[in-house]
Amino acid sequence: MLVSLKWLKDYVDISLTPEELADKLTMSGLEVEEVKKVLPRFTGVIVANILSVKPHPNADKLSLCQVSDGKNRYQVVCGAKNIARGDIVPFARVGATIPGDYTIKSSLLRGEKSDGMLCSEVELDIGEDASGIMQLPANLKPGQKLEKALDLEDTVFDIGITPNRSDCLSMIGVAREVAALTGKKIKMPKVRVVEGSENIKSLTSIKIMDAELCPRYSARMIKNIKVGQSPSWIKNRLEAAGIRSINNVVDVTNFVMLETGQPLHAFDFRFLEKRKIIVRKSKKDEEFVSLDGKSRKLAQNILLICDGVKPVAIGGIMGGLNSEVKEDTKDILLESAYFNPVSIRRSSRILQMPTDAAFRFERGIDPEGVIRALNRAAQLIAEVSGGNICKNYIDEYPRKIPSIKNIKLRYERLQEVTGTKISPRDIQKILRSIEMEISRTQKGFCLVTPPTFRVDITREIDLIEEVIRLYGYDKVPSTIPKFSSTEVKENPLLKYQSRIRNIMNGFGYTETINYSFIPQGAMDYLLLEKNDERRKFVRLSNPLTEDQSVMRPTMIFSMLDTLKKNINNGSPDLKIFEIGRVFISTKEGKLPEERNMLAGLLAGARSDDLWSSKYKSDFFDMKGCIENIFLDLNVKKIQYRSANYETFLHPGKSCAIFINDKKIGFMGGIAPEVLEKIDLKSDPYVFEINLDILSGFADNTPVYREISKYPAVNRDVAFIISQEIEAAYMLNIASSEKEELLENVVIFDIYQGKGILEGSKSLGLRFSYRAHDRTLTDIEVNEVHDRILRNIINVTNAKIRGE
Amino acid sequence: MIEDLQELEDKAIAELQEAQTEDQILSIRTKYLGRKGLLTGLLRNISQVPDAQKPLFGKRCNEVKELLSARIEEKLLYQFQQKKEDALIKEKIDVTLPGRAVKYGRIHPVVQVNMEICSILASYGFSVVEGPEVELDYYNFEALNIPKDHPARDMQDTFYIEEGIVLRTHTSPVQVRVMEKIKPPVRILSPGKVYRRDSDISHTPMFHQIEGLLVEERVTFGDLKGILTAFLKKVFGDDTKLRFRPSFFPFTEPSAEVDIICVMCKGKGCRVCSHSGWLEILGAGMVDPEVFKFVDYDYEKYNGFAFGLGLERIAMLKYGISDIRLFFENDNRFLKQF
Repeated sequence: MLVSLKWLKDYVDISLTPEELADKLTMSGLEVEEVKKVLPRFTGVIVANILSVKPHPNADKLSLCQVSDGKNRYQVVCGAKNIARGDIVPFARVGATIPGDYTIKSSLLRGEKSDGMLCSEVELDIGEDASGIMQLPANLKPGQKLEKALDLEDTVFDIGITPNRSDCLSMIGVAREVAALTGKKIKMPKVRVVEGSENIKSLTSIKIMDAELCPRYSARMIKNIKVGQSPSWIKNRLEAAGIRSINNVVDVTNFVMLETGQPLHAFDFRFLEKRKIIVRKSKKDEEFVSLDGKSRKLAQNILLICDGVKPVAIGGIMGGLNSEVKEDTKDILLESAYFNPVSIRRSSRILQMPTDAAFRFERGIDPEGVIRALNRAAQLIAEVSGGNICKNYIDEYPRKIPSIKNIKLRYERLQEVTGTKISPRDIQKILRSIEMEISRTQKGFCLVTPPTFRVDITREIDLIEEVIRLYGYDKVPSTIPKFSSTEVKENPLLKYQSRIRNIMNGFGYTETINYSFIPQGAMDYLLLEKNDERRKFVRLSNPLTEDQSVMRPTMIFSMLDTLKKNINNGSPDLKIFEIGRVFISTKEGKLPEERNMLAGLLAGARSDDLWSSKYKSDFFDMKGCIENIFLDLNVKKIQYRSANYETFLHPGKSCAIFINDKKIGFMGGIAPEVLEKIDLKSDPYVFEINLDILSGFADNTPVYREISKYPAVNRDVAFIISQEIEAAYMLNIASSEKEELLENVVIFDIYQGKGILEGSKSLGLRFSYRAHDRTLTDIEVNEVHDRILRNIINVTNAKIRGE
Repeated sequence: MIEDLQELEDKAIAELQEAQTEDQILSIRTKYLGRKGLLTGLLRNISQVPDAQKPLFGKRCNEVKELLSARIEEKLLYQFQQKKEDALIKEKIDVTLPGRAVKYGRIHPVVQVNMEICSILASYGFSVVEGPEVELDYYNFEALNIPKDHPARDMQDTFYIEEGIVLRTHTSPVQVRVMEKIKPPVRILSPGKVYRRDSDISHTPMFHQIEGLLVEERVTFGDLKGILTAFLKKVFGDDTKLRFRPSFFPFTEPSAEVDIICVMCKGKGCRVCSHSGWLEILGAGMVDPEVFKFVDYDYEKYNGFAFGLGLERIAMLKYGISDIRLFFENDNRFLKQF
């Protein structure tokens, strides 16, 4: 909210500088977000004294003036008639600028030199009077800058008012806060209503049909007004608050709203059919044209202000075009009411009309300030538009708006919450400074009744906050609470995640964070089948864009998108990973399943050194990294199954990853069809692993096994087998017979080509034999080794190379 | 004869000086000292030397022999050293070329900040707990004292999934979920992604927050100040000035906004701090009794405080990043800098 310092000074004396005041407000909870200086729209205009006025020798309508700024004399040619010797006037010297981007120059007017310009109010845009040169008070000293002499400078604070402080959505509200902070008294504007003899009650009536939504509705009548421009003091105030001037009646309603916080509305009485007001709820599809000219079909149960026939305003939100105050309006009905905050908020959201009035009503206005604001506005309208205020006002108040009385404030409780001991005397002093009434004080507590405009204060804790806020947070001593242990158990996944990050980093992968939302079309790009569970995605009902409309059921799409962006940025060699969640929809009304995933992508050259030879990264670079994660987390029984598990992966270069026969993820090259579809000029490998499942298998406390003191005996054998047979299968068969002496089997060579029959390959296996308690003899080893070879040959039809 | 001997010595030494290779040196040795060598030849002719000179001649012969042998050995050794050095020079590499290794990957800057904060607060006994990102309206709003149709809902623009289900707008719902499950004392931290319907240079629709909650008997606003002061000084440096000022959150009362002195201008006022000299860094407050009612805690017995901060904001201040969107564009040129 924009708050003019000058306006504020109407209600409270302020001796602080604007910066000091801003700091005080910020430190008490009214955050000043910006301090703006407001200067008049002229420069270089000073106060001058007219020394003489003589007729211009060559022009009847002009005169020659000698003016003084207290030091020098100037000759000015002037066309105005209202000046005489001794007048104090505004004088724009050569070089001065006045509104309209006009710079004063020295000139010859009909042969006479003119060194400046005497100005009218209008020319300086500080008033309406255009009839002649502005007459300044006689006590002003010539030579003074005009803006200083007339106090035309202002400071505007932009204050962020938190939703609880509806009382501060007005100048008086902020002034109250300033008064409390500086120990000054608030000066409420005097309200004097001069009533005529005609009684409002003989002219109109008000009927409230729904006291729940409209507990109070008051009105006054002002007759024979003259609609026109507002005086500049009102215009300037509204402008400082960022509100456009419309006409004197509407401006007064806005002015009083800004002054008191009470929204008001004026109806042109001649358009109120049957000369009455009925407050009721809307019927379904009722039509209404609001002041902004928009026609709306209303939903049910929106509060309407109606005349005897039709709606004339949406209560608390906006008036109707049909009863708008116009140039020829003579009689007005002025409304000041209290509307139910929840209903106003609901309606303003449904209608998408977040008006200044709605903003205040939905936060809660002072229910006891309704009449005061009504009278204040009536008085000002009569003053600026020359109308007559009718006798009496109508105040329909069918339902008392509850107010909180006698909240018990325990001094000890205050100390328990704040950690600060404040004396009861100081507590009461602080509370009184913000107009709290202390009805009873006893040992240990007092009873406090907040003023009716403080609708946010209903509980002891609210009072505690008020006291400590005004006492000053900075005066509360900082302490460290004693250590205590909590029974919360951390998810072990958190620990595993940081180890995984280390491994990924070590293998050269950099961490990314992609948005959780992806386009819905992503599922088609990835060629996901109709019954793929990732098609059960979670969709936002109000996405910002279609590209961010679905919570990702997999991270692969984002990874590919990141690769694409990086290729465009000149980084085609990419190694990235991400730890994050994917979302799978469950049942309507239920939260989706959120899974913690690890995804990675590898593309381009294996090394980013320019000087050494480049190798293209491949499947096994990625697999090596994944294997090390399993190694580090001490996960056993991992299988890489080559069946075609993912539609978006290359069928010949991909696999699913299982632990103990449970699928935990996949890895592989992206299928050419997908690359083409998303127009990706790269050949990336990706993987995705479910960390929730993985962490269930992770057991990272290793158990030590004794190191054998005796040497191993190695036997290398090359098998000729069908090309179709996978390495893992051979290793499995080799170690399937539980031979105690066989320590391990590894692959030492794979060969295909010359010397090997087409459709076959040579697979070299190294068998290591060892015993814990002795050196093995050849005979012992041969016996076991032969048994194993026979088994392999039997099962796989392998031939031993060289035999 | 003695003169011949001197001539031979001079000649041999001169030849030795000329010799370049090991072979040349070896052939000089053969030429003079070999069995059929010149010196050996002279010695063989000792009979022709007059008797009186014989002892002297013999002595000189031996001297010359020793001298030549020593010189030859010296030169051979020198040659050998030279060869070794030449070989090393040939093997010289350019040590300024970059090392050949897998370039270490980087951790995302937001995650780095998160890890730092969690480890600082872990030392005060806070444990990390996570909650769902797609959240019930109840936990995100209602149980945090933000009823439907309350103006406080305007503070955050929400993404909706369906009636009653939202993308969490803050990490605060985890407070409620934890308090529903365990009794005080509670000291938890909850980092994670949050979502708000907002997108410009200083807002992204997804960002990260970390939430802290401490509930015990006899915890005060002074404790809140103490913990947060210690924490922020560890993050931003011991000489960081900070201030606590009143604010409003529906789920805390009293509520505070915590500012640190601007890291850019040190309080003088600059663009980063909107010329105020201060930077808003976190929101905090004493848990509102209404929230305790929702989780069935005795609000007369227990007090608590909660705080929340945006990780991107901390990372932006720490690393001097001015556009929040960079965190989620995943440009390698950006990520590699951290």
